[in-house]
Amino acid sequence: MALPRSNYDPRRVCLNPFPEFTLGKHRRTFGVYLAGALFALANWTFLDAAVLSKHAKAPYGAPPGTDPPVHVTFTDWVPGLCSLLGYLVINLIDKDRIRGDEGFGDSRAVWRARLFLFIGFALMAGGLAGSVTILVLKYLVGESYPAQFTYYGYANVSQSVALMLSAIVLWIAQNTSSEYEYNLTL
Amino acid sequence: MAAGLRTVILLSFVLAVGFLLIILSCALWKNWLPLLVALTFVLAPLPNALFSHCGGDELSGSYESSPAVDFGRFITAIFVVTGFALPIVWAHSEIIDTKAAMMSIAGGGLVYATIMAYSAVFRQEESDYD
Repeated sequence: MALPRSNYDPRRVCLNPFPEFTLGKHRRTFGVYLAGALFALANWTFLDAAVLSKHAKAPYGAPPGTDPPVHVTFTDWVPGLCSLLGYLVINLIDKDRIRGDEGFGDSRAVWRARLFLFIGFALMAGGLAGSVTILVLKYLVGESYPAQFTYYGYANVSQSVALMLSAIVLWIAQNTSSEYEYNLTL
Repeated sequence: MAAGLRTVILLSFVLAVGFLLIILSCALWKNWLPLLVALTFVLAPLPNALFSHCGGDELSGSYESSPAVDFGRFITAIFVVTGFALPIVWAHSEIIDTKAAMMSIAGGGLVYATIMAYSAVFRQEESDYD
């Protein structure tokens, strides 16, 4: 094999697909900070669009005083609210329950935890899909708005994407830490 | 401890410069919204400080953080990003001037850096008394 010896071990069947972060014991801290930053960034992206819509001027080239053709309405808020709800649901679940250690409590707790985890992920995915739907149906298809108004739709999509990224980062940060602890105790 | 005294004076000077920048960014354009940025950055280390005393019972390791500590860090990160995002959002919607936004961001960053540096420099002395 052309691979260096340390990378190639014939006894290994499958490789761990997760990248190994080399942040040491501050890995969990860094991950949590990053997740919080992404969370705030997601919501501020959308709030920026909402504030911009509230203070919107006439489109470029139009005579001043013309009403802008489109506003951020409650419809635009719905996908973000779905994503936020899913974010809460995912992070309120006890991670030990999902792993399926049947040591404590009733055995149906694992099943219920997985159901709620599914609901949480479905809410987040639904928020992402809904934001893409709003971007396409409200801003891209039909009437064509200038770029300053389609920004509302793109901000909506990026809010959902950043919320999802934040959830993933937080999940990885919490799980890698427990693995690390495991290695230490062994 | 002579170095400690000099550090205190330097840090207080930087803090004053930070607040000066923020207040100037409000007063020069007669729009007092950026003062909220100072409030955000002052509040930013607070969740971390509060929740750091919640976690860590005897069973867990010394550096292994509990959910409460994680929650504090999460909120701190939200506050810091909010402090930077607020003036940008305002400037984007032309509620405040772009230069005012930059000044308040710089001032808020100085205030937050001062608080961080202060707690980092004087943490050693606190742990001696534990």
